[in-house]
Amino acid sequence: MGGCFSDVNGGQAAVGVGSRGGLAGPPLEAAQQELNDAVDHFLHTHGLRGLYIPLELSLSASKLLDLDVLSKSDPMAVIYAKKLDGMLEELGRTEVIMNTLNPAWITKFTINYHFEMVQPLVFRVYDIDTKYHNTSVKMLKLNEQDYLGEASCALSEIVTKHERSLTLKLKYRNSPPAVHLGTITVHAEETVASRTAVEMIVRCCHLENKDVFSKSDPFIRISRVVESGISIPVCKTEVVNNNLNPVWKPITLTMQQFGSKENPLIIECFDFNANGKHALLGELQGSMAELEKLSREKIGAHFYVPSSVRQGHKKMLKGQLFVDKFCEKIQYSFLDYISNGFELNFMVAIDFTASNGNPRSPDSLHYIDPSGRLNSYQQAIVGVGEVLQFYDTDKRFPAWGFGGRMSDGSVSHCFNLNGSLDECEVVGVEGIMSSYAMALHNVILAGPTLFGPVINKAAAIASKSLSYSHNKYFVLLIITDGVITDAVETKDAIVKASDLPLSILIVGVGGADFKQMEILDADDGKRLESSTGRIATRDIVQFVPMWEMQGRQISIVQSLLEELPGQFLTYVRSRDIKPIFAHPAAASASQPN
Amino acid sequence: MDNSATLEITIISAEDLRLSHRPLKKNAFVTVRSSTLNAGGASSTSLDRDGGSYPYWNEKLEVGLPSSARSISVEVRCKTGTGERLVAVAAIPVSDFCEPADYLHFLSYRLRERDGERNGIINLSLRMKGASPFGRRAERPPAAPPTTWARGEERRNHGVALGYPMDYGYRV
Repeated sequence: MGGCFSDVNGGQAAVGVGSRGGLAGPPLEAAQQELNDAVDHFLHTHGLRGLYIPLELSLSASKLLDLDVLSKSDPMAVIYAKKLDGMLEELGRTEVIMNTLNPAWITKFTINYHFEMVQPLVFRVYDIDTKYHNTSVKMLKLNEQDYLGEASCALSEIVTKHERSLTLKLKYRNSPPAVHLGTITVHAEETVASRTAVEMIVRCCHLENKDVFSKSDPFIRISRVVESGISIPVCKTEVVNNNLNPVWKPITLTMQQFGSKENPLIIECFDFNANGKHALLGELQGSMAELEKLSREKIGAHFYVPSSVRQGHKKMLKGQLFVDKFCEKIQYSFLDYISNGFELNFMVAIDFTASNGNPRSPDSLHYIDPSGRLNSYQQAIVGVGEVLQFYDTDKRFPAWGFGGRMSDGSVSHCFNLNGSLDECEVVGVEGIMSSYAMALHNVILAGPTLFGPVINKAAAIASKSLSYSHNKYFVLLIITDGVITDAVETKDAIVKASDLPLSILIVGVGGADFKQMEILDADDGKRLESSTGRIATRDIVQFVPMWEMQGRQISIVQSLLEELPGQFLTYVRSRDIKPIFAHPAAASASQPN
Repeated sequence: MDNSATLEITIISAEDLRLSHRPLKKNAFVTVRSSTLNAGGASSTSLDRDGGSYPYWNEKLEVGLPSSARSISVEVRCKTGTGERLVAVAAIPVSDFCEPADYLHFLSYRLRERDGERNGIINLSLRMKGASPFGRRAERPPAAPPTTWARGEERRNHGVALGYPMDYGYRV
């Protein structure tokens, strides 16, 4: 993601409002959903589709422990799945809500409910120190945060509860529940598989002034009222400072977030306060249909506040809410594109530098074991190739090697793996495997490790494809053991390619220090900058060390597909490219219910 | 200026702008120039009122691109009480967007002040209309290092050339 909020205080950033500006990535929860889609599709094509229902979990807590001296705790919740061996796999983190002991988090989690399995979940709540509030929650180190307690339950316990809400007492690890730690409430809902989204621009006028030395700093929070009568916050806008007639950036809400157009919503406007005690400037109830009406008739709706004199009565305020733009649009998912004429094209590049060790020696990363045991490269090719190849219809992959000495004595940083001079494509994963084994015989390992030439080669193929087709997306898989020597050229090549339909997956094998790769994979929110001052349009690199794929509970499929759908969607959405067979009629017919 | 193409540039937004080392408050706008000589080669956006140091325009501009142009300049300016001030500039090489032909490029650049100090980022999209891409390609100097890869099928050792500074060894 482009680091849109890099200078904005964490608490002032928008949550759940959707992507915008053309350069930002899809919102976190959408990315989670698409990750799910991709993995789901993978399982499905492998005949592993079980009977399950996708559920969306929302979390809230009450009476949390107060660990801050002058204010209240700033809580964040982390949700884990407990594996059979007792290990915990992190499923996601909520946003941080400032200065409250009764948080209702907006970030939702999508989880597949398999009714034939026990799915134990663990929820941990942390107090996030103020100094971390500008850090993205994904980057937070949990052991540096104050632990407020945890609770666990099985997913089925939530689903079987009336109203699908389960309240659990928080406790410390390995100790019985304690009253003073408070409770956490988990609410589960079936996800609505709908592509409908609404984009709107809202503004307010004549808001009340709550600040003494300046004007109010308003933001909007929208909550959905669910059947049991409780309201679940679904999005909040960014804060507009010092303004009683604020206009917010466009909000995109998906059907998943607002339910149906008739579903009652609560729209609240608050004055942002850095200490977390946001003052209510007014609230109103209305559905999406009513908001649409406001936009069509260009009229405002008055805010109300609960009357201080008479219980249960409301006082109408001067402040009004206007909807300047309201449009429904269809948001296509990764799978919509892939299953409707869009094609992913895979390319592979393998490291032939000397640091891999002599291929004839058993401790080499390139050693081909006569017993058939796969070396690290082969494991990566098979592991990754099997996942990727089913997205590629013709299964013809350009395959290259780099850093090898050719038979004529020159070192090449991009040679065809199959030994041919003019044809770089091989057929299927088997094709890559046999060309790889053959290349090990014909090419002498040399160096240095340069990525620039293969990335440029892949970019040239992606660029060339645009002259005849706009429905191809390319994925270059680089398998390497080491640290690159052309960091500047690699960065330049990646930045240049960031405008093309291309993603780069880098798999690191062996035990080298891969710090440098982490920089290429712009996960810390910093955008990659080339030596000429050009800046990457979007993040196109995903780096996965092989040891991480083996050692942790995350499967290869998941680690690799984690960012690809998001990268793909940022590309097509910014260009307003639609799936090919999706006529408006077909799209609306495909909505369930 | 014969054989000139038209550039459709959408100035989307800028990030983290500063004016005299303080975050810019308001009234930023962007001027795009394709040629320093020709006044017709410049076009400006309107003022951004609300975005502060993160202005958002999403405004489409059209400028002519003379066939001799090697780069276009994008200037972020700011209207202040006393007049206009230059905030920062980026130069966009024509080679960054001349191919593939008729493709909508989404590009971002580091902005720099006149003295070279870094000052924010500009995000824009750009499409070249008119001139035949092949005509333009032929006009490019044959040894432009960053684009050689796009030009043909020199396989084998073409990458090695990346290691040699071509012609800027004497400057600096």
